[in-house]
Amino acid sequence: MPKAFKPQILTANDLIDGDTVFWAQSGWTRSVSEARVAQSPEEATVLEAAGQLEEADNRVVGSYLVAVGLETGAPYPLLRREQIRAERAPTFAYMAPESAELTERPARAA
Amino acid sequence: MYRYDEFDQRFVDERTAQFRAQVARRLKGELTEAEFKPLRLMNGLYLQLHAYMLRVAIPYGTLNGRQMRKLAEIAERWDRGYGHFTTRQNIQFNWPKLNDVPDILDALAEVEMHAIQTSGNCIRNVTSDPFAGAAPDEIEDPRITAELLRQWSSLHPEFTFLGRKFKIAVTGSETDRAAIKIHDIGLQIVQRDGETGYRVLVGGGLGRSPFVAQELRAFLPKADLLPYLEAALRVYNLHGRRDNKYKARIKILVHELGIAEYRAQVEAEFDRMDGDAVAVPTEEVARIAAYFAPPDLADRMGDADEAARMTAASSDFAAWLEQNTASHRTPGYRGVTISLKPIGGAPGDATAEQMRAMADIAERFSQDEMRVTHEQNVVLPHVAEGDLFRVWRALASAGLDAANKGLVTDIIACPGLDYCALATARSIPVAQDIARRFADPERQRAIGPLQIKISGCINACGHHHVGHIGILGLDKAGVESYQITLGGDATETAEIGARTGPGFAYEQVPGVIETILDTYLDLRLAGETFLGAYRRVGMEPFKEALYAAA
Repeated sequence: MPKAFKPQILTANDLIDGDTVFWAQSGWTRSVSEARVAQSPEEATVLEAAGQLEEADNRVVGSYLVAVGLETGAPYPLLRREQIRAERAPTFAYMAPESAELTERPARAA
Repeated sequence: MYRYDEFDQRFVDERTAQFRAQVARRLKGELTEAEFKPLRLMNGLYLQLHAYMLRVAIPYGTLNGRQMRKLAEIAERWDRGYGHFTTRQNIQFNWPKLNDVPDILDALAEVEMHAIQTSGNCIRNVTSDPFAGAAPDEIEDPRITAELLRQWSSLHPEFTFLGRKFKIAVTGSETDRAAIKIHDIGLQIVQRDGETGYRVLVGGGLGRSPFVAQELRAFLPKADLLPYLEAALRVYNLHGRRDNKYKARIKILVHELGIAEYRAQVEAEFDRMDGDAVAVPTEEVARIAAYFAPPDLADRMGDADEAARMTAASSDFAAWLEQNTASHRTPGYRGVTISLKPIGGAPGDATAEQMRAMADIAERFSQDEMRVTHEQNVVLPHVAEGDLFRVWRALASAGLDAANKGLVTDIIACPGLDYCALATARSIPVAQDIARRFADPERQRAIGPLQIKISGCINACGHHHVGHIGILGLDKAGVESYQITLGGDATETAEIGARTGPGFAYEQVPGVIETILDTYLDLRLAGETFLGAYRRVGMEPFKEALYAAA
């Protein structure tokens, strides 16, 4: 029996700063809650294609799909690894000064 | 310590300029990621979970104050104010931006450093004893050999694209502080009939298939070192399993061929080759050796008892003196281990401020030398006993005075799933939780010598296989699970630890360690270490304590 489809989002790393990014409605966001969710295999294929185009456009590196849950109304990764990526920081209080907080970069226009 | 000559500097400068051009081409889209990835990896630049990571080579862990200050500057200017010292005696910066990396490499080149061969299937940074040149039991400073190997292996045309990465460690002492038995090749400087040479070990390694190295040659004359290693690597390279990365390390080859057959092939190749064409001229060895001449240490016997006097004034100092300093070959001096394992800290991390503090202290009190250890601490190799109290005070003011060297909270931990793209589970927070559980200094000292080593995946960067207690984090259906091993040993009596049984949940690990140590405390004989007790009683009492209630 085929596995039931789980909702998915597209993620990658920004080419320049390596930041974890998620494909939103028309560009990349650093907030997982803003990620565009594929609710079917067909929609997931569209996301994957967007990732490949973005890699070819030299904006991101290593795009791939991540399974998410939607229980809270916003997508959140199911796997621990992807949850940590989505938080964009280690799970412990590391030695980052507050001034190092990254500034958001504008998403690419559609 | 070694200083670049004109050739070394030009080589590093040219390489940095090349990488600057490669980054520019990547940013312009003239190189795809597939084309760029091998280039960036050859310059130590990885892409991890959250960001790029730059791994900087610290040859055999040795660096001076100027170099440490430059690392601090890099941490502040281009990263997030800290760096992570690794089990390979290197440092990693966790947050550099791609377009800043050429500037970082330029900055490193200013102080005779680089990131070349810190990744890729080549001969990696040669590691060594952090107490080299200071240890009383040393036959010869192993860094002379390590530097020779560094020069020989840098961009070696035959060994730049091996089947897999290749790690060499060198020690000059019978006591192994460089973990040579878990390296692809381990070299021990030995003497036979008054002649100094090498005992050559091969095929050690951790990862998915752990092996303790076997003896390849009981005695190798010094002059034969490079030809012999060239033969050993050539045999490996020719057999190299490039079809399967899990079988591509030399440990698998030695295991599958058997040490006798591998040795026969190496010896045959060694006999066949023109050794004189490969061997390094004696004058070049002498040139390198001159950089490692023992420091001209002033006679400080006059104030050697000051440290002992100060122990009466401060019990904290007394504890640190006892735990974090070691014998030195020169009377009146000691080697100091700066613990990068404060309770609740990330093992091996140091802030830029702490790096500058270490540089200051090394310049004032330790002949301007520091050594990064494979246990993720930093050694000041030559400190006069009369200066120890001042060194301790200076370290304390920088938060670097943890008196836990070799104790339960001196934990090795890889970056794990908090940073690493390969990891399957977290390791740093596990180390932090264990350290908090055993924070009481008296309890730590009561437990005695103990090495806990944690890896966040089977690749074993945290050396879990050779921890007295090893912890391996795995992913079980999306949930972190931790296997425990007991009885591992990274020293001259090296052993691979044995698994206790089924794994434990993340939250259970500190309690599991406590159960193991309570069991040890209950059954140990007077003066018996954890490892000694385990070797005497075996796994059963620990297994019983861990699983009986389940």
